[in-house]
Amino acid sequence: MSSESVLIDIESDFMRSPEKVMRLDRMGSSFPTRLSFMRTLIRRMSKENWQFKRTLRKVDKDGYGVSVYSAITPKRTYSLIAFTQEIPADMRTDRVIAEVWDATFSLFDGVPTQEDIDYLAENTPLQEGGRYRPSELVLARANKSLRVFENIISALASGNQPDIELISSVGYLMRTTAVYGSGKFGCADRAKIADRPECRAPFQIELLAVYLIRWFTIDLVEELAKERGGKQAVRLDQNISRFIGVGNSTGLGMAPFLLKHPTLIHNWVVAKETALARVRSIETALPGTLEVFLKSLLQASQHIDEWNVADEVQTARITCLTDEIQSLRMWCEDESNIFRPYPWNGIYQFVEDNFSLECQEMIVSLIIEPHGSIVDDLADTMSTTTIPKFKAAMSLAQLKEVVADAYKWATTIDFSLEESQHHFWYYSEDKLEPRFGSKGVDDGVDQEMPLAIGRDVHDLNEVLATTDEDMPIGEFAMNYPQFRHIIRRIQNTFERPYSEVQDNLLSESMRPLDLLRFKLAFFGASKFDPKSDLWTRISMYQGAPLPEQIQDPNHDCWSFPIAGRSQSYPCISCSCQKAI
Amino acid sequence: MPKSDLTISLNEVLFYFTRAGFGVKAPIGVSEDFARSNIWAAQNGFDPSECSILALDNLDLKKSSLSIKFEKNSKSSHLFCTEEKVLSSLEASVSCVDWIEFNGLDGELKISNVDCPFLIIASLGASQCSGVKASWTDQDNNSFEVNFIDDVKWEMISSSETSIELSHYADVYISSLDAVKSKIQNGKNKTFNLENEKLKVLNNGVKVGEKWPEIYEYFSRCLVKSSAESRASGAGAGLVDTD
Repeated sequence: MSSESVLIDIESDFMRSPEKVMRLDRMGSSFPTRLSFMRTLIRRMSKENWQFKRTLRKVDKDGYGVSVYSAITPKRTYSLIAFTQEIPADMRTDRVIAEVWDATFSLFDGVPTQEDIDYLAENTPLQEGGRYRPSELVLARANKSLRVFENIISALASGNQPDIELISSVGYLMRTTAVYGSGKFGCADRAKIADRPECRAPFQIELLAVYLIRWFTIDLVEELAKERGGKQAVRLDQNISRFIGVGNSTGLGMAPFLLKHPTLIHNWVVAKETALARVRSIETALPGTLEVFLKSLLQASQHIDEWNVADEVQTARITCLTDEIQSLRMWCEDESNIFRPYPWNGIYQFVEDNFSLECQEMIVSLIIEPHGSIVDDLADTMSTTTIPKFKAAMSLAQLKEVVADAYKWATTIDFSLEESQHHFWYYSEDKLEPRFGSKGVDDGVDQEMPLAIGRDVHDLNEVLATTDEDMPIGEFAMNYPQFRHIIRRIQNTFERPYSEVQDNLLSESMRPLDLLRFKLAFFGASKFDPKSDLWTRISMYQGAPLPEQIQDPNHDCWSFPIAGRSQSYPCISCSCQKAI
Repeated sequence: MPKSDLTISLNEVLFYFTRAGFGVKAPIGVSEDFARSNIWAAQNGFDPSECSILALDNLDLKKSSLSIKFEKNSKSSHLFCTEEKVLSSLEASVSCVDWIEFNGLDGELKISNVDCPFLIIASLGASQCSGVKASWTDQDNNSFEVNFIDDVKWEMISSSETSIELSHYADVYISSLDAVKSKIQNGKNKTFNLENEKLKVLNNGVKVGEKWPEIYEYFSRCLVKSSAESRASGAGAGLVDTD
């Protein structure tokens, strides 16, 4: 299916509008769905029976050295080359500006030679300070969660399983602090791999690297425990190891990406919204799906119980969500509420009318979840090779219409108010770190990144109001070249209405965190743990099968995972149907 | 990064050249198209920094201008600078493509006194303008003709050994491929196939030479100096992260 054929669904009565979906408060309440990119990758690994091998381990007794972990697909091999080193505790920072990391990684396209490994040993530990080649697909680094790392090694070395409560409170052994792909620092351009089936969906190669990093962290603690405990040491219980994800600290870098790739964002959102519309339009529930949904509400409640964060705003939202899921479960106990025509639309509508955005978006994920057979094809529509073009032949009259229809949110903002232009985005000279400055406080207004979309549309609209509608856009752009980028953007929105964040990104109340969560949810991240309005920690692949579990029947059953149960991963959508 | 003789990716061409254009005060939309043109040049085996440095220098030194005007009569059309300066090829290239999209190729388009004609070629190529011919004679009397045969195939005919990206300052004529016969006698002919060249670049990267540090210098103007305050307040994560 192409993205064009998905467009037909945009006309569905059950489709939520861009005005509803593309608002920061809703975007900042997103949850992963079965269309999230990690889920797509795991399904492919299982379907194609990928093989995984550790092909090199050259480390000292403390685990410092180099290792290689390979994923073997039907046609190709991808190899994660991991370098580990001891670092001073006070230099362990998640910021882009860090200089050292516990572990650094390159994902190599194929099987590396010793010469390749030697080259990368000189570069990968330097991260942005090194240079990479088209044979390298991804560059990444990670730092240990010291308390979990040590706890697990100690426990396993003495023949015991680690403290599941501690694992649950953190969720991972290491957290990545950057995962670079797509031509960064000389790595391969996306175009090199975009035609490969396993790379077609967005961010598959970056997420493969993260999946291998997760495996590496678990392998590392098991090996270190063996080194320390000898014959007494044990391996991690599989239920526990499956619950160990890989963490990530995400800062502002993701925000400019979202704004600079409107076509891609449109495709992501249309796929998710089409999935929701397809489910809401089902008149009679598919056999077993309502039962699975009801079970999943219980699982979601447990997942929420385990989602503990320090951030006060998010804690209040989680508390509210707990109560709302409980209320929904009670509402669902009245069979007349759910066993009726269009049951999914009824559930969605009830939640939208009564509960918070956080709850609405969680329910969107949960009602899509049991419907893999009717939505999973949409995963193939989420990438793009289209680059928005400036269309000189469009008339100014048409451009004015699009502005009036799709950008009312921008043209009605009063940009003369200080709070409407409080912030600006810029790149710091510190390793090109993106930053979110405040006018009158921070330097760099003159070097502002061109992300002031609402303001630029507003300014264009004022000039358009006094310009003859018969003037061709090409001529208008000659007279006003400063509007070329925003005209191109508006023209793209005309064809792809879900491409634009419909809020003022400069306003005093703007929280970049909302953009980060929106993007991370599409990746498949969970347990959002905001550390400020500017950055968050998350967990990736928590509950996902490990390489030796990739052929298990429940390989796709890791939506809203929970810890510490004998059946840790109650299946809500596959044939194995484990009980909770 | 500012050192010469590097191999960079196409994504880095996009990132650095967009901001290099912005660094010499070209509008961001024009700079984005300028970077796309440089990607096309790189995909065809050219060093994008060689292709672009003069155009950026001229804008920076205000020897060229982005001010452009368009005139049309029954036989031909004309794009020219409204100031007593060279027309910047950053603006000339986007305006040329816009003109073709809006007017088609009915008659000849003259673009007067452009500093880097090859950037117009790169812009036409990046916009997949097939069936188009471009020709010029530069200040050193080197003549060039470029024929866009289809979306991927194009040919270049030159009167001398001078590299096309180093041909500067000329009036450029754009017409339909069939409209004008070649005026270059015994010219040197070279044919390019974008698909083949692109593959090579994806597997080997883009080589940039001695002009790269100057491109990087223009790019650097988009960066903001860091301070202790901006480190603490304006960016993502905490300064030391242990748990």
